[in-house]
Amino acid sequence: MSEANQSTIIQTRDLHKCYWVGTMPYPALHGIDLQIRSGEFAVLAGRSGSGKSTLLNIIGGLESADRGQAEVLGEDILKMGNSQRSKFRLTNIGFIFQAYNLIRVLSARENVAYVCQLQGKSKQQSLEIANHWLHEVEIGHLGYRRPDQLSGGQQQRVAVARALATEPKIILADEPTANLDSTTGRHLIELMQRLNQTLETTFLISSHDPDVKQAASRLIKLSDGQIVDSWDEIPQPPRSLEATCPLRNRPFTERLRHLFTPRRKARQQNRQRTSRHS
Amino acid sequence: MTDAKSQLTAHLARVAIRNLLGHPRRTLLTSGAIALGLASLIFLWGFNEGLHRNMLGNFQNAIIGTLQIHRQGFFQQPDLALTIDNPQQISEALERQGITRYSQRLDTFGLAASDHTTQGVMLIGMDPLNEPKVTELESRIGIGRFLQPDESYALILGATTANNLQVRLGDEVIMIGYDRYGAMIAESFTLVGIITSGEMGLDSGMAITSLATLQEMVDLQGQVTTFVIKVDEQRLPGLVTSLNDELTGQQLEIMPWYSMFPVMKEWVTLHNGFLYLFLGIVLFIVLAGELNTLLLSMLDRTREFGILMAIGTSRRQIAFLIVVEAVTIGIIGILLGTLLGSLIILLTGTIGIDLSTLLGSTSRFYVDPLIYPQLKLDHLGITASAILLASILSGIYPAWRASLLQPVEAIRNG
Repeated sequence: MSEANQSTIIQTRDLHKCYWVGTMPYPALHGIDLQIRSGEFAVLAGRSGSGKSTLLNIIGGLESADRGQAEVLGEDILKMGNSQRSKFRLTNIGFIFQAYNLIRVLSARENVAYVCQLQGKSKQQSLEIANHWLHEVEIGHLGYRRPDQLSGGQQQRVAVARALATEPKIILADEPTANLDSTTGRHLIELMQRLNQTLETTFLISSHDPDVKQAASRLIKLSDGQIVDSWDEIPQPPRSLEATCPLRNRPFTERLRHLFTPRRKARQQNRQRTSRHS
Repeated sequence: MTDAKSQLTAHLARVAIRNLLGHPRRTLLTSGAIALGLASLIFLWGFNEGLHRNMLGNFQNAIIGTLQIHRQGFFQQPDLALTIDNPQQISEALERQGITRYSQRLDTFGLAASDHTTQGVMLIGMDPLNEPKVTELESRIGIGRFLQPDESYALILGATTANNLQVRLGDEVIMIGYDRYGAMIAESFTLVGIITSGEMGLDSGMAITSLATLQEMVDLQGQVTTFVIKVDEQRLPGLVTSLNDELTGQQLEIMPWYSMFPVMKEWVTLHNGFLYLFLGIVLFIVLAGELNTLLLSMLDRTREFGILMAIGTSRRQIAFLIVVEAVTIGIIGILLGTLLGSLIILLTGTIGIDLSTLLGSTSRFYVDPLIYPQLKLDHLGITASAILLASILSGIYPAWRASLLQPVEAIRNG
């Protein structure tokens, strides 16, 4: 696909996300500005804790952000309600998880058909679609097996088939090869590349697997919750934790806890945290 | 509902049932606990019903019948001046209502005298032909026999009275009383039967002769003080209303057994009250047990719910899955429990439960030592509905909790 034909499918602006452990804030994303164009096979690379999964989850509407915008297919997913997000995910986004995350009590075929039925397709139609995609990912003969009767690689192929069954425009894959051996992992990457090229589905993959990074049409480097141009670049630390992790976003009970935490102790904790970042 | 939507609902229900089948031990344990609770409840209720039927049946069959008709005020103050003016009219009214099991009596007070002593008694004149249609007094005569038609001046006494008078079968007993004019009368009777029921009310203070004999003795030929009627318990309230309407203006008192002896009714109500309390406790245990299982199951599957949400399952659909699971567990428990409870009742209802070690060989308070539990469809319906309701309620809280999960947190922490 030529670059001229590629429209922006995902766009984030000044995205911030903070996790809290008790009264301690941990900034996960710090001002992420990202554009993904249609049909890209983009890989989010970075060390563990760099914010890859968090960014993927926010783009997929699985998690909310503290600040900023996340437009997916022209719609700000952060402004949607829970029910809207569910419908949006079902129609537009396919997920592939590190741990496959198949439904244990359903067969491979039923796992794939499940999402089609959620879309309102009939049982028969859904099973036909499931058979088609299981053949596409080369495990059509294993459709009647349950997840616990499949190898890790086979389970991940079922997960890919499930992600594709609703014919989404975007596939978000979080460390899809992390639980696979290198050969199976490479086969999965080839499969995803083939599907990206034939279906023109946009893939956004978080991974620190060198094979995945090598296959990427674009590599996005994340470090300490910020996009960097090179791994040598040292990201700017947050100016203040209060600005990155505003207390007003916390639940009322947590805010009360802060009120009763001795100020000196909190300042000391924050100083330690900030110095660790810098 | 569109076809696709109904198929989706069916699909979600199938997933929920597959989840239950995927954890057979947990499902069976919870359903089994519900089944045991329900079975014990059905049995207890059936036993209670059998006990009440036995007690009330014996009480009514002993002497009072299901319903009595007297002249207004007679029940409180039995007096020969309060005879029924027109017994024929009452007979016709009863027959119009389709009542065939009724008998007439003449009741008065008297003094029974033997060679040794005297004792005050209620002297009852019974129709030997019709009395067996309304009571089972005949079967309570342990020594001798019941009255025969056309037999004059034959007497039946309770065992305690006979013992106090020191008389035996064939002995002469003098009955002293007042006739309709208030003049003192005395007649000689022959003892032909002794009631040995074990009930104080029957064995003591009662003397029975034929209606014709007593009418002749008190000079009230063709007159009666009491109509005793036997009908099904269910028919009783409607019959009382109909008879009241039909016999209005005749100064009669139409008294069902519970109006004459309210203590019996109150005892049954109190007993049922304890049973409902027990029902409530069992329901609470079922609710707590199922809630606990579902919450554990939910904790166990938090990750799965997160995945389902991530791939597009709505919160409402997740809640639906859990409620379906709860209801399915409840239905399995109800089916097993109803089957088990019914089998126990059918078995014990056939062979009976012998309580003679608790009650002694003879009945006490009109309860036979052998109780036959009764299976009633409305009991099954009420208990099954209550358990089903408890199952739905126990599914709602976990369903609500699951619907509040955040997909990422559920996947991460599950």
